[in-house]
Amino acid sequence: MQTKSLQVLVNRIEDETTNVKSFTLKSLKGERLPGFSPGSHITTNIHYKGEKLERHYSIACDPSVSNQYVLGIRKSETSRGGSEGWHQMIKEGDLLEISYPKNHFPLSFRARKHLFFAAGIGITPFIEMMFYLKKKGIDFDLHYAAKSKELCPFYQLITENFPDQSHFYFSSSNRKMFPQLMKDQPIGTHVYFCGPESMVKQFAAYAQSAGYPQGNIHFELFSPPDMGPASPFNVKLLKSKKEIHVCEKDTLLDVLLREGIDAPYSCKVGGCGSCLLEVADGIVDHRDQFLTEKEKENLQVILPCVSRAKSANLMLDL
Amino acid sequence: MSALNEDTTHSSVSLITPEPLIKRFPFPFHEDSYRYSNNSRQLESGLCLEVTPEYEEEVEEKRALLKENHMKCYQSFSHTIEAQWEVLDMIIHELAEVYPDYFSIEKQGDQWTFSNHLLKEQYSFTFGAENTLPAEPLDFIGRHVQEDLVIVSQRDQDLYMDAGQVCFPANWSLVFDVGMTFTEWHSPVPVFSDKLAAKVRDFLMRMEAGKPWTRYNWTLTVEHVLPTFAEDFDLWAPKKDKVTKENIGELVHLRVEDQRLFRLPKSNSILFSIHSHLISLKELAENQVWLEHFRNIIDDLPEYIAEYKGFSEYKPLLSEWLTDTLQKQVEQGGNV
Ligand code: HEM
Ligand code: FES
Repeated sequence: MQTKSLQVLVNRIEDETTNVKSFTLKSLKGERLPGFSPGSHITTNIHYKGEKLERHYSIACDPSVSNQYVLGIRKSETSRGGSEGWHQMIKEGDLLEISYPKNHFPLSFRARKHLFFAAGIGITPFIEMMFYLKKKGIDFDLHYAAKSKELCPFYQLITENFPDQSHFYFSSSNRKMFPQLMKDQPIGTHVYFCGPESMVKQFAAYAQSAGYPQGNIHFELFSPPDMGPASPFNVKLLKSKKEIHVCEKDTLLDVLLREGIDAPYSCKVGGCGSCLLEVADGIVDHRDQFLTEKEKENLQVILPCVSRAKSANLMLDL
Repeated sequence: MSALNEDTTHSSVSLITPEPLIKRFPFPFHEDSYRYSNNSRQLESGLCLEVTPEYEEEVEEKRALLKENHMKCYQSFSHTIEAQWEVLDMIIHELAEVYPDYFSIEKQGDQWTFSNHLLKEQYSFTFGAENTLPAEPLDFIGRHVQEDLVIVSQRDQDLYMDAGQVCFPANWSLVFDVGMTFTEWHSPVPVFSDKLAAKVRDFLMRMEAGKPWTRYNWTLTVEHVLPTFAEDFDLWAPKKDKVTKENIGELVHLRVEDQRLFRLPKSNSILFSIHSHLISLKELAENQVWLEHFRNIIDDLPEYIAEYKGFSEYKPLLSEWLTDTLQKQVEQGGNV
């Protein structure tokens, strides 16, 4: 039996660094929490300053330990409110409603070796993956860049559990993490990147040029990539006979949901494909990381959580 | 590992309400036309299993089939063991929660005792320790439910049939399909295989835990036969030759598969369950609304679907019988 959402208790809050806190979520007394696969995240909803804020956080702990999820959350300077809410408002003992664990960043099954590249708080999904791989005896290495040892989230946990596999690059000591680390790896190596968009882009481009097959390159973005200025457009909904306007600041998905349309979605950053809709007419400005270049060319579809219109009007069969 | 014939305080089988089949049959059609489509709907109940009055009879039949030819009904890759435990965990808890009079579970850490009060059986085992169960976890728990169970792994951007306990297949072979990808094992299905299968696969790969899906599949089966393995085609297919205008109502059964799909969050696999229901056309005809829908579906059905489902030989006979039976009911004032 599966219920729609999960109830958890904020069991412990710890300072990892000056701007990163870890939140240990546990099951309520007598209840069980579903397990999670390495690479999973949960979706959280908190109400902060009168707004409902939906955020996704990777689970930064050992998947073989049941009934707990640990989230590592960095208070972001450019916070749209979510991380600030978590840091300011959430207290030990609070009850929260969260989603089931979902995995949009799974480990490859066929990889012979896993090579992880993390920058800053991008470390979180790799923690669950490393616990899993170590238990299974599968080969991996972690390359991890941060400002300094003091500002390196989960430094202690990583050095304690994965001393032989972890390599640190602190800008305070002028050590830089270069993509060239991907060179001279055994055949069957899969590479994974998690961090700011610029880093992910740089590493993914290098991996491709170094000859890694597309299927061996994996990455996760925390925020939608910056695809340049967004212009407003209009959308005609054929089934519900509505015309809606999407302004610069909104996404098409936001507007659909506001209009009460039961549109599916999950990640909201163009990474999972859940929100895919068929387009009846109009030219799509694809801004997602989910569809392949070929699909973007050939399919009449849109991922409304990030993609927009190139033409002034779109028509959807909704 | 023990199967004690325990005397439990629960009285069992009598608790299953013996409602007539026609009152509880999952009739799959709401429209007058049927084509292949992604007819998946959200599964509101969140439940995987259903215990019906046929429980004992069907579980007994499953166990006999497994005993007679184990590999025909059970296949698994070793990398599915964790997903198998996850399935066992989910099924045992659902059974005990939804049918507390029929099943119960007691846990002391990893020491679990599972009781099936309907069959008066009790098993103690260590969760996660394979050698404490009489069979692999999927093979074990499948012997306590009427559903066929398939574990579909998601790996490297594709879906693979990696384990299954299937005793009541509708003319397909687990042995043949195991290890195949979603589009490979669907390749015999006309139109669906080239027009829809890849889309449906992508849809399934995005399925999330907590948001299960369900769909009906249907076909026709001659006589009340649940195990129609592709391997045994020679045993059940010739029965089609016996169908006549006189006996079609008793012989031919509508076979409905209640299929449910769950994302398993720990293994990131998909559990696919199939509960197969059979009803004779004669009994089905007791519901005139259903009879009329079904008549319209059959009359509108493209030949390639009838051919794939295996009843094109007697489709004219079927169509005639449905129309006549409906006509008679209408003339008699009907039983709407
Ligand atoms: C992932 C779980 C699924 C499994 C294990 C599965 C398995 C199968 C198998 C073994 C067959 C028989 C193919 C043959 O002739 O050998 C079949 C047929 C078929 N499947 Fe699936 N399937 C799954 C999901 C789906 C879904 C989600 C759809 C949604 C549209 C679908 C649509 C069909 C159709 C239309 C047929 C033909 C059935 C008929 O006309 O009798 N399947 N499936
Ligand atoms: S919601 Fe994930 S791609 Fe749009």
